[in-house]
Amino acid sequence: MIKKMFLVLAVLSFAELAFSATPQELLKGYEASSGKALPFRGEEFFNTKHGKEWSCASCHENPPNHDTKHIVTGKLIKSLSPNINPDRFVDQAKVEKWFKRNCNDVVGRECNAQEKADVLSWLITVK
Amino acid sequence: MNNYFLLFVTLLFTMPASAEKKTMPSDAPTAYETECASCHMAYPPGLLGRKNWQNIMSGLDKHFGTDASIDVKVQAEIRQWLNKHAATGNKYSAYAPDNRITKSRWFIHEHDDVGPNIWKRAGIKSPANCSACHMDATKGNFEDDNIRIPAK
Repeated sequence: MIKKMFLVLAVLSFAELAFSATPQELLKGYEASSGKALPFRGEEFFNTKHGKEWSCASCHENPPNHDTKHIVTGKLIKSLSPNINPDRFVDQAKVEKWFKRNCNDVVGRECNAQEKADVLSWLITVK
Repeated sequence: MNNYFLLFVTLLFTMPASAEKKTMPSDAPTAYETECASCHMAYPPGLLGRKNWQNIMSGLDKHFGTDASIDVKVQAEIRQWLNKHAATGNKYSAYAPDNRITKSRWFIHEHDDVGPNIWKRAGIKSPANCSACHMDATKGNFEDDNIRIPAK
């Protein structure tokens, strides 16, 4: 019985590992499939428009170290900085989903690993 | 007997119009909150008819100017739930142009006393921001005595 419980616990903690991550781990992953991240390049990318109506900062503001409001709907957006909001960049699927959606809105395409690495490396420094 | 009948009739006529399923159903999938309500309020499904909701769920990659695409399985789950609770009564199920709640006939009618200068206030931002004025909008309470219009 106890053996069984341990087995269940082991499986559960493994499942947990598969989904949760730290911002630093995610950054390493993006760097592994591109090049070294440059925070200043990420900052510039975040705060500039890319041929479309919005920049990342249109909703997240600059620096994104506080709660903001969605530029269209007015809905509350919690701070994007992982230093302020520990729920940020700890779930890879969630991070990928939002990069996809928001890059399509801001850049008109999905972001590449280098762009994600740069932006994340800057966000990690935002306090 | 007669008294009971009277009571029934009185109740029938004093029941608020909101009884027409505008409230938030209790069986909302958590994904409705995490996926849909991260950008805007979780709109009670009874505010639009089936056809409108189906259109919305089929075009999430181009969702009112933004990419709101979600996982296929989650999409199916939300779609099914919206289908179950979509408006059926005449008023709310009438087809809303562009699938926008704010373009539906009932919405325009209910807000015909709200001037354009009020909609533009920073505290409101958009007619889609129900909670700006309807204090308990997320619960599906849009009653007149629950409205507070921001001064700015």
